[in-house]
Amino acid sequence: MTATARATSLEVDGVTMRFGGVVAVDGVTFSARTGEVLGVMGPNGAGKTTLFNVISGVQPPTSGTVRLGDTVLTGKDVDDVAACGVTRTFQTPVMFWGLTVRESIEVALGARAAGGSYPPSPARGLIRDGLGLRSQRRAGAALAEQADALLAKAGFAHMGDRPTESLAFGEERLLEMARALAVDPTVLLLDEPLSGLNPDEIAEVLRLIRAARADGVAVLLVEHAVGELLAVADRVVVLDHGRKIAEGAPAAVAADPLVIDAYIGDELE
Amino acid sequence: MTAAIWQYILGGVADGAIFALVAAGFVLIYQVTGIINFAQGEFVMIGGMTAATLAGAGVPLGAAALLAVLVAAAVGAAAYLLAIRPARAATGVTLIFITLGLDVALRGLALFVWGTNPLSLPAFSSGAAIRIFGGAIPPQTLWVLLTDAVVFTALTVFFRRTYAGTAVRAAVANPQIASTFGIPLRTFAFLSFVVAAAIGGLGGVVITPNLGGMQYDSGLTYGLAGFVAAVLGGLESLPGALLGGFLLGIVEHLAGGLLSTGWEQGIGFLILVLVLVARPQGLLGRRARRA
Repeated sequence: MTATARATSLEVDGVTMRFGGVVAVDGVTFSARTGEVLGVMGPNGAGKTTLFNVISGVQPPTSGTVRLGDTVLTGKDVDDVAACGVTRTFQTPVMFWGLTVRESIEVALGARAAGGSYPPSPARGLIRDGLGLRSQRRAGAALAEQADALLAKAGFAHMGDRPTESLAFGEERLLEMARALAVDPTVLLLDEPLSGLNPDEIAEVLRLIRAARADGVAVLLVEHAVGELLAVADRVVVLDHGRKIAEGAPAAVAADPLVIDAYIGDELE
Repeated sequence: MTAAIWQYILGGVADGAIFALVAAGFVLIYQVTGIINFAQGEFVMIGGMTAATLAGAGVPLGAAALLAVLVAAAVGAAAYLLAIRPARAATGVTLIFITLGLDVALRGLALFVWGTNPLSLPAFSSGAAIRIFGGAIPPQTLWVLLTDAVVFTALTVFFRRTYAGTAVRAAVANPQIASTFGIPLRTFAFLSFVVAAAIGGLGGVVITPNLGGMQYDSGLTYGLAGFVAAVLGGLESLPGALLGGFLLGIVEHLAGGLLSTGWEQGIGFLILVLVLVARPQGLLGRRARRA
């Protein structure tokens, strides 16, 4: 898909999320365009992960709406939101244990490719698999080839047959990124993708983020490594106690007294 | 004496083959949904009773068998849509109680439809009993074993060699992450009930000629045996279900023959307790999933 074909944007409009008396997200509004990296900053407990949960359909908001282009995502289940082109990663990378590295990518690739339609239809897959074993085998080989190409791009060449249980933490992070990108998402939500990584791995993840942007993906990036976030983001939204306190270009936001105050100055150079 | 023991073992293989099919249904549904479906045995009864009814009404055996499997699958679909799906937010224990209720409801429905009389089905092929060493098995048992071979091979090929199978394994490994790729968990859950019911129904069709007759409450026995076999095998493993099924069948027959018939029903549960104490993950199950 080209960047122009995805000329659509993610609109978060007045989203509020209450847990009993606690307001985790409070009337937050912003938009993210395709082909840009939108950094989402804020101290611990600012509501960043809750916001991702609302956007990806994990939790319905108390009020407000999330739209992708003309499609209202609010109220949809996670798989339906994903089928609309929004996928995400989690703070702790989670692997599909029991699957190999290649199979993990194939699952994501197939979700995109199943029956040439989106959302994929497992029923159609079943019928095709059951009735056309030969064409299935061909399609399977093509899928494996595509998966290997993607793995090579993500620095995982020759690791396709490894069980996901055997990966080191940094490798899990990178595979998680590659897996999310294999879905060919319109919007990619990354929740602290750099935490726990060594400098080489950080550089690799940042490279993948920039490549996704170049491919026309709208990347929403929650990250505590403020320096890296400001370096890679095109725009930044800052949350504090669930409210949006700043939005704009990275340099302007970093200089914003409200933002410095929220971070008590120590995380911003 | 040896001949008698061979006969017990062969009898156990015949029963074990059907236990393994029911256990496969338990494993399939448990893997995909995390639910232990205690109504699984009723699909065996429904398959057998439907095939016997249709064959009795003059429908050719092959068509009766196919229709019976379709009826069982349809009942599985209805059971999921009417009983399980509306309660999908419920906890595991609640869902187990729902399947117990489903079991009672299906048995009641069968009593209403078929009454208390046992129904029988002719054997698929004629011929004398096949002698193996000192024992003998009816030719129908070969049909049951063939069904096992086909079903377990098909399931293994599906899970290991197809995209949909890999997607199911991913969904089993982590439903939350799989759903972020757009993998529709509810559809998989629905299909697991349909396929498990069809497998149970097929088991009922092939086993009925070996029985004196299938009746409305026959499913309970198969359900319990299938459950024991599935847990013995580890509840998450298809080879485990196969092993657990045959092991249970053989041990039941040996106990029934060598000790007393009273042991036949009870020994399975005794073994189940012993296995769960010594090896809680079952014979072929993995120890524990990393969360």
